[in-house]
Amino acid sequence: NIDGPKVFWKLSMWGNPRALSDGMEKLSELAAKETDGNFQIKIFYGGQLAQARENLDGLTVNAFEGAAICNFYHPGRNPAWMVFSLPFLPLGDPKVDRYVRSKLFEHPAIVADMERWNAIPYVSGLLPQYEVLGKGKAPNDLSDWEGLRVRAGGGLGSAMEKLGAVKQTLPAGETAIAFQRGALDAAAFPYTYAHVAFKIHEEADWFTSNLAPGTSECGWVFNKTAYEALPPQYQEFLMNNRDLVMQVEQEAYAAQDQKNLPLFEESLTKVTYSDEQLAEFRERAGKPVWDEWINANKDKFDAQGLFDAVWQYAEEAKAAQ
Amino acid sequence: MILGIGFENPLLVGIIALTLLLVLVIFGVRVVFAAAVVGLLGLIELLGWSGAAGIVGTVPHSKSSTYALSVLPMFIFIGFLAFHAGMTGQLFNAARKWLGWLPGGLAVATVFATAGFAAISGASTATSAVFARVAIPEMLRYGYDKKLAAGVVAAGGTLATLIPPSAIIVIYAIIVEESVGRLLLAGFLPGLVSALIYAAIIVFWAMMRPEQAPAAEPSTWKERFASLPGVSPVFLVVLIIITAIYGGWATPTEAGALGAAVVFVLALLRGAGFKTIKSSLMESAKLTAMIFALIWGVLIFVRFLGFSGVPEAFTSWVVGLDMPPMVIMICILLAYAVLGMFMDAIGMLLLTLPVVYPAVIALGFDSIWFGIIVVKMAEVCLITPPIGLNCFVVNAVQPSISLPQVFRGIALFFIADVLTIIALLAFPEIVTILPDLLSN
Amino acid sequence: MIKSQENAGRLGAADRLLVPVEDAANLLAACAIFLLMVLGVAQIVSRTVFNAPIEGYIDLVELSMAGMAFLGAAYCQRIGAHIRMELLVGRLHGRALWAAEIFGTVVGLMIIGVLVWYGGEHFWRSYTLGDSTIDAELPVWPSKLLVPVAFSIWFLRLSVQLWGSMRMFVDPQRDPVGVIFVKGAAEQAEDEMHDAMGGDIDEGEASQSGDGK
Ligand code: NA
Ligand code: NA
Repeated sequence: NIDGPKVFWKLSMWGNPRALSDGMEKLSELAAKETDGNFQIKIFYGGQLAQARENLDGLTVNAFEGAAICNFYHPGRNPAWMVFSLPFLPLGDPKVDRYVRSKLFEHPAIVADMERWNAIPYVSGLLPQYEVLGKGKAPNDLSDWEGLRVRAGGGLGSAMEKLGAVKQTLPAGETAIAFQRGALDAAAFPYTYAHVAFKIHEEADWFTSNLAPGTSECGWVFNKTAYEALPPQYQEFLMNNRDLVMQVEQEAYAAQDQKNLPLFEESLTKVTYSDEQLAEFRERAGKPVWDEWINANKDKFDAQGLFDAVWQYAEEAKAAQ
Repeated sequence: MILGIGFENPLLVGIIALTLLLVLVIFGVRVVFAAAVVGLLGLIELLGWSGAAGIVGTVPHSKSSTYALSVLPMFIFIGFLAFHAGMTGQLFNAARKWLGWLPGGLAVATVFATAGFAAISGASTATSAVFARVAIPEMLRYGYDKKLAAGVVAAGGTLATLIPPSAIIVIYAIIVEESVGRLLLAGFLPGLVSALIYAAIIVFWAMMRPEQAPAAEPSTWKERFASLPGVSPVFLVVLIIITAIYGGWATPTEAGALGAAVVFVLALLRGAGFKTIKSSLMESAKLTAMIFALIWGVLIFVRFLGFSGVPEAFTSWVVGLDMPPMVIMICILLAYAVLGMFMDAIGMLLLTLPVVYPAVIALGFDSIWFGIIVVKMAEVCLITPPIGLNCFVVNAVQPSISLPQVFRGIALFFIADVLTIIALLAFPEIVTILPDLLSN
Repeated sequence: MIKSQENAGRLGAADRLLVPVEDAANLLAACAIFLLMVLGVAQIVSRTVFNAPIEGYIDLVELSMAGMAFLGAAYCQRIGAHIRMELLVGRLHGRALWAAEIFGTVVGLMIIGVLVWYGGEHFWRSYTLGDSTIDAELPVWPSKLLVPVAFSIWFLRLSVQLWGSMRMFVDPQRDPVGVIFVKGAAEQAEDEMHDAMGGDIDEGEASQSGDGK
């Protein structure tokens, strides 16, 4: 349906095919179909083209045309993107999350981060909210978090520290073993698929079900030079299908949840916090981290403005529902 | 764009690159340069100069600064320190007190002493070198056949790479992105099985030809137990590394660091001075730089392979073959045996795995099992002519035993190694039982 | 023949100038290895005894890896420790041998030259555009800077060896200066043995560097 020249796009991604890549695979399929095979998009998995942390370098030197990136792998490279890693943002509802992040991907500060690397934000990976799985006594009260050894990174790690927990860093793949041997009490991961991917649920005794303490941004960015070199009809095709990509991603997460949740409910103790508890959580472990972040970044970009935009977009999304 | 084929025919680009690489290596270009230059040329063909050079410039740093690789310098350092702490002599002494009474007792003792040293050293040539100095004179003094004495030391050295700590197993884990800890554990039993098969074949041979391996005088129980305190540090290091990985209380790097610290203190107690420590460190630094250069150099080539799509093409070709997987596996192992005649073990793994590994996994083989099999293959190559580094080492340390004699002495142990590989093929549990215990 | 002696003199001087730099770089790598051991033990103690893991331990280790991986590379080159297949080169003599040496060294100079420049750009990006580690958010650029620095020393060593090999190619009868002697497999094995014995030998034995005696 779309006429155009032969174009071959290479997208760099680490790890195996998963929900994050399902959306782009769908896009690739559609591109081939719509352009009669002229516009080829191929995802190279397993870090074949670059390591996760070097994907932005690859775009800068024009080695490939697109890549997945995770903001927290290299905070210094994308300071504004670290807003996505702040704890207790109002993004627990997947619909709200999708709206807010699509808007943020066009926010000047977020765009500017990528501009430095010759990249443009394309579509969010919509990583689900984290929840915590743990071993031993379930933390039904806020005070129970005191002294727990928790694997949590970024803003979430800082939030846990405010509650008196001890932050542990270890590679995701070693988490289950650390659990098993009692070197760790709790671990936060995107809920539910990542817990299952790393077999954490097999070792845990309890899980938090509604903490929604925050998440991160692992999404897709394009090579700016390559994008600008595309014929307008291909550019249009890409931009018009962002919703499709996000929809496929969220369906993939939801399908995982449908499989995993019964498993969790069956074998683990479910921890559900009341609204008052959640409010207190936010007050004690959220606000201080936000303020610190805004303060630390206010000279680099309009940190306050970006942070406020998150809340403003969230309000818009809720109002539209 | 050099040839102008680019992505039109990636397979052809890949084949040309592999051929060029082979030519450069045969002409004596250092492997790091040959692999990196061919990788660069291949990438230029696919991406043009600036993209290719740009991506190549990121590889050395990004591939070297990986936490999992940090275990290598620790393992290397332990090996150098262990020699200075005088652990070798005591290991051999204890082994002969306990096993000397067997037919071929001194040779059996050498096997188990090298196995013990393997638990603190990751390099098989180094292990052979050390025991060529310690054990061969003793065996010759008791009238052992020169060939047998040399063969057992050359073969015993290969145990160092199976029994943890082992640099080569770590490198396999890094390339295929497997858990370093699980792989290190997986090598333990096969190392032990290898040692037992070596011992069994020595005993058998000594019973057939007693004149080649005369019995040594038996030891009293008192002497036996008196020999133990001297080797206790070895057991301590083994305990640290195995329990750390198995128990999860430390990462392999941390366990390596603790093991190194223990041996370091011991070396100091046994009189190693500043000069000795410094030179151990300088040697460790040199070996580390050499291994890392090999790693990032080859990974530049692998980066090109990634862009070219050759591994995928190879995998789909292998999977499409109408043959039982086990037959394909045996063909792959035979190919390794041929390659290993001429190539260094680490270089061989680094160059082949990116293409071979995905195919092996697609055929349904276990990645940990394959790692151990391949490492064992690479080790066998260290004792086969024409380039059998362990044999050269033995000959260099004991020039009175000629190289052909060493190679003839190896025959017996080559048979043992073939038996071991058959055992690992037939009973994969030998490899997988320990790491599986870990995950349950 | 006065001219050639003069050449050898200048080559020898360049060689001698480079040796302490390479030694110092390798010693730095050695110190990094020792510190890695200390840091590992400290991490175990701090975590298991005091329940307080060292902040950013993994980041620190990863950043320090560059020191261990690259700083000893030129030193390795000087003593001929980088792996190659000696099967063919080990049998060559005279001009043929030096031609092979020249070829191998030129290939090395090409790739190391590219890596000095583009490894430098990799550093420059992280310095100018901002880059920090995952956990403790430490700056990455000092670690990346080690690539162009260490590889520049390596490049200089390769240049000396190229010069030395060309001098020998012109007249194989000269005293070798600034080149690695190609070793037969047996000699290589002997090196392995010396390596295993650690510092029991003077490193000068393993190379023909220095004043070319
Ligand atoms: Na070992
Ligand atoms: Na061989």
